[in-house]
Amino acid sequence: MSYELKVDDKETTDRAAGLSQGLLGTAADRPEGVLKVTGRATYAAEDMPEGTAFGVLVRAPAMGRVELGNAPAVEKLPGVLAVIHDKRMLRNPAQGMAGEAPVQGVAEADYVGQPIALVVAGSFEQARHAAEVMEVRCLGEIRPVSPGAVEPEVPEKKQSSMGDLDAAMAAAVHKVDATYSTSAMSSAAMEPHAALAWWEGDKLTVRASLQMLKYNRAELADSVGIPLENVRILSPYVGGGFGSKLGVSPEVVAAAIAAQQLGRPVRVVLNRRQVFETITRRSETEQHIRLAADGEGRLTGVGHDALVSNLPEEPFSEPVTQATPFNYEGAARTIGHRVARIHRPAAGSVRAPGEAVGVTAFEIAMDELAVAAGIDPVELRLRNIPAEVPGTGKPFSSHMLAESLNDGAARFGWADRAAEPRARREGEWWIGSGVASAFRVNMLSEAEARVVLGPEGAIVETDMTDIGTGTYAILGQIAGELLGLPQEKVEVRLGDTAFPPGSGSGGSIGAASTGTAVWLAAQEVRAALAKEMGCEPDDLTLKDGRATCGNISRDIAELISGESLEGHGHVQPGDASSKVKQATFGAHFAEVAVNDVTGEVRVRRMLGSFAAGRILNLKTARSQCHGGMTWGIGMALTEELVHDRRDGHMVNRDLAEYHVAVNADVPPLEVHFLEERDPWTGPMQVKGIGELGICGAAAAILNAIHHASGVRLRDLPATPDKVLAGLEELG
Amino acid sequence: MEVRFSLNGEEVTADAAPDTTLLDWLRLERRLTGTKEGCNEGDCGACTVMVTDEGGARPLNACILFLPQLEGKAVRTVEGLAGPDGSLHPVQETMVEKHGSQCGFCTPGFVVSMAVGHLNGRTDHDDVLAGNLCRCTGYAPIIRAAKAAEGAAVPAWMQDAPLEPRPSDAAPESADALAALYAAHPEATLVAGATDVGLWVTKDLRDIAPIIFLNRCADLKGVDVSGGRIRVGAMETMETLLPLFAKHFPSYAAMLRRFASVQIRSAATIGGSLANASPIGDNAPPLIALGATLHLRAGDDRREIPLEEFFLDYGKQDRREAEFVEAVSFPAEAPAFRVWKISKRFDSDISAVLGAFNIEVTDGAVSSARVAFGGMAGIPKRASGFEQALLGQPLTEEAMTAALPALDADFSPLTDMRATAAYRSEAARGLALRYVAEMAGRKEEVRA
Ligand SMILES: Cc1cc2nc3c(=O)[nH]c(=O)nc-3n(C[C@H](O)[C@H](O)[C@H](O)COP(=O)(O)OP(=O)(O)OC[C@H]3O[C@@H](n4cnc5c(N)ncnc54)[C@H](O)[C@@H]3O)c2cc1C
Ligand code: FES
Ligand code: FES
Repeated sequence: MSYELKVDDKETTDRAAGLSQGLLGTAADRPEGVLKVTGRATYAAEDMPEGTAFGVLVRAPAMGRVELGNAPAVEKLPGVLAVIHDKRMLRNPAQGMAGEAPVQGVAEADYVGQPIALVVAGSFEQARHAAEVMEVRCLGEIRPVSPGAVEPEVPEKKQSSMGDLDAAMAAAVHKVDATYSTSAMSSAAMEPHAALAWWEGDKLTVRASLQMLKYNRAELADSVGIPLENVRILSPYVGGGFGSKLGVSPEVVAAAIAAQQLGRPVRVVLNRRQVFETITRRSETEQHIRLAADGEGRLTGVGHDALVSNLPEEPFSEPVTQATPFNYEGAARTIGHRVARIHRPAAGSVRAPGEAVGVTAFEIAMDELAVAAGIDPVELRLRNIPAEVPGTGKPFSSHMLAESLNDGAARFGWADRAAEPRARREGEWWIGSGVASAFRVNMLSEAEARVVLGPEGAIVETDMTDIGTGTYAILGQIAGELLGLPQEKVEVRLGDTAFPPGSGSGGSIGAASTGTAVWLAAQEVRAALAKEMGCEPDDLTLKDGRATCGNISRDIAELISGESLEGHGHVQPGDASSKVKQATFGAHFAEVAVNDVTGEVRVRRMLGSFAAGRILNLKTARSQCHGGMTWGIGMALTEELVHDRRDGHMVNRDLAEYHVAVNADVPPLEVHFLEERDPWTGPMQVKGIGELGICGAAAAILNAIHHASGVRLRDLPATPDKVLAGLEELG
Repeated sequence: MEVRFSLNGEEVTADAAPDTTLLDWLRLERRLTGTKEGCNEGDCGACTVMVTDEGGARPLNACILFLPQLEGKAVRTVEGLAGPDGSLHPVQETMVEKHGSQCGFCTPGFVVSMAVGHLNGRTDHDDVLAGNLCRCTGYAPIIRAAKAAEGAAVPAWMQDAPLEPRPSDAAPESADALAALYAAHPEATLVAGATDVGLWVTKDLRDIAPIIFLNRCADLKGVDVSGGRIRVGAMETMETLLPLFAKHFPSYAAMLRRFASVQIRSAATIGGSLANASPIGDNAPPLIALGATLHLRAGDDRREIPLEEFFLDYGKQDRREAEFVEAVSFPAEAPAFRVWKISKRFDSDISAVLGAFNIEVTDGAVSSARVAFGGMAGIPKRASGFEQALLGQPLTEEAMTAALPALDADFSPLTDMRATAAYRSEAARGLALRYVAEMAGRKEEVRA
């Protein structure tokens, strides 16, 4: 049996209110924490069964048809088992939720750094050496590599317009008309991608580092050319993903093909440089933003046109304007989207695709409008909060932007901020603060889970992954809450496609979607228990292993008399998303110091106030926001992929030159959550929280730089050279 | 090559090529996979291990540590932090409690760094953990975990004892032995701390054989302060020099605090840092400004040259066949000395510009000026025209401003991904003015 739910309508009853275990919303520890701190949690590169062979990817030094000059000689090198140059190998990783093979075919190199072959040997050193001496030639012209070098595509479906923006701009009392740019970025998850593949007959098992196993399974099966049922993927621990492990990637398919050909396990681990160069990047963006406002700063028109890039065959393009249709008031609205087809590594989803960069640019523009109109930037935003999605009449499922702004402003001490820029100086440092709103669309995704209650406790099973977000903890909390068990009595098993397919982890969908599936599965178990107790499920109290109904109270283990009860939950998105607009909201505040002599920027403190429905676990939710805000610091100040102008190869393909924030870059961060229940997301009334923290965070910093120093930067990141040039201009 | 050391309290012997890194050996040979590989080039700290020798315990990056460097030492990995009975190390407990681990991939490196800091009684957690990257947490929970463990006693099993190192042909034990060996094999690669050479192997896949390891040359270590001068052996590491510089030249110490990370500084030697002739190395400009002398030796021939004369051109030094750096010496006092590093990221970043100033004023006029920059030319270089322009002038903002065109004329910096040429020039001018302000008694905070 299965408890099924299609989320078509709102659920106003707080279904959790009647539960007694007290686990939901607490700051429970991660059950796998001890494994992680002792080094016993095993990631994809760590299983090496007897007989494992080692594969190293060979990559394209240029573009065009690939020739492997000395492959036969390389195959004869000591220890070398094979040089694999199979047409099924991947050129690009799969995009998130693709569920089918991505661009294949390594006879052709479409970008510099593309995988073209796999050298397999008995030891890692032998394979690495053989890959190094491989003579690779690419017989083709260098294709366009810069967005400016091509005429961009203008996908019709991604253009929209209502009202007359030009007229609104012409009539505006205050306006902004400016172009912003953000750099290409890398997820730079700390665990490099890795795969170990082995075959038993026609059955393929792969140990990999992936975020969305049910899709990855389909992608892998399709790539290798075998039925889905014959593929099993294991990813119990994933060392960070941030979008980079959404789709199956080249090393996984290469390992599978090599293991098939050699009849032994094959392990392929990417080195850091390969991760940078063969895994999807976040596209750079150029964003033309127009804001028209009346004398009170009320928006009458909004224009947001984005130029992004990707390889010709890639379906994904950074959805920069995703939040623009609903962010603020503005009757006239023009949204544009253009894609430059260029030959850099494929662009794909990186933490909060769309809003991370789109909200950031927009929120800088809002700051410019506030300055132009002489209105406090918090106040300006408050004046422009729409009652419904502008121009559509569609209500919001819940909307707490105003509350977030007010709460954040009060906690941050916004009232003490000088109205004018360049008002505070300490030695060489200009001090100032900035604000930005946070927006992120909220999605529910289909998910299934199984819950088995036995005498010893409960087991939760789903192929959902925990990429560091706390899934192990949260799913255990949900099952424990519903079944009246302390968390340590619930074992959560994840990351195995043999389990029911969860939602996968990405797009902040995991906790709400798979969590709801676990909720449903546990409800089914509860119903069975209620039946045993002879009462209605709603009248049943389960707590600390005891079932109580009226004046009967029994031990759960005894009640099920040594047997086990199984429940299955299945949630699907329904009509809710067409009836209401669902999003998460928040407000970022930042204080920075800008050095007048060197242009260095230091973030002195940051505060975020967020509303994302029910918070399932305070610790993990807060961690997610800390992480997101830290990414915002990177985006604002240091993160920038640099591509060579001639052939597009990545210049800073290592962690020395691609600058993620280090500890010293991160000031004390404060995160606050507003009490919110979103009735349109199913019984738990939760929304996603994994990505909200990055959306707009960088804008708060850029706006603070302006407030501190008077320097308005529209080109991220705000590196010292740009800041100093701005200071120079101000004199 | 056979190497014997202690691993998590047990004596082990590794037989491997001399350019095998500890990380590869641990993960692939020993199948001890707790120690992670995040970058294989010293940038991320995921591979941090604790290494104990006669100088005490320090954290090192296993990814750029060659096995022969470990002869006779004691290595402790994340697997060896918990007690024999399985009880967690205090930092492991607090990491769980404070949610310092999310995806967990950076965690082994962090807990080892923290455990070494804990063992050495350090509470400057921001410094101790500057060399560990985390993409998930935003660091605060990790710092909280480190703080929470401060008071806990150091578990008994953490006290590692080094073994008696065995002699090796590739690891001379004195400068004399090194001189002879190097003279016989001038094509050899000298390996000091391997923070540069390690990358030649792991990143560039270069064959660096034959290798001569310098870490056992006892007389290349040591600091001698006498007669108003300080002489530092080539094999002193940046980490052990920090307290010395803190005492004599606080601004140098403040800069060194931002030189890479504890892990790198605990391996990187001052000799290696000068001998690699990097145009962006952080030691050459301040030492040039201090008026340092480089002590070179080939066979039995010794010579001393002013440090600035060692750097000839990009990647080219005044180094003769089989010549090596024995020591560097400089005055023990230099009240007018200041150095500042500017980089995009506060920690673990290469300098965009580094400026070192040592301008003495007698009777109101500049009587001697030594100013050197990194990141402004293909080599670390003195600003000679600028120095000339300052001589005889008062050290005022006005006089300094008047001398700035000479500074511009001294350098024609390049634009690269660290900074634009215009920025470098402007920042150099700014540092010169900052220097005047400092000498006039204003103290600038670089952290804000
Ligand atoms: C992650 C990371 C961060 C870094 N950050 C910085 C930084 O912030 N600032 C900075 O300045 N540097 C930095 N470096 C560079 C590096 O740490 C220095 O160059 C270091 O001081 C080199 O010393 P070593 O002992 O490790 O040298 P090795 O790598 O052992 O050797 C370097 C070179 O010097 C030669 N050599 C070594 N000793 C001698 C000797 N006694 N006589 C003659 N030749 C010798 C070697 O043959 C080799 O050519 C960083 C490196 C890494 C990996
Ligand atoms: S693996 Fe990154 S520092 Fe060693
Ligand atoms: S916990 Fe994921 S990188 Fe630190």
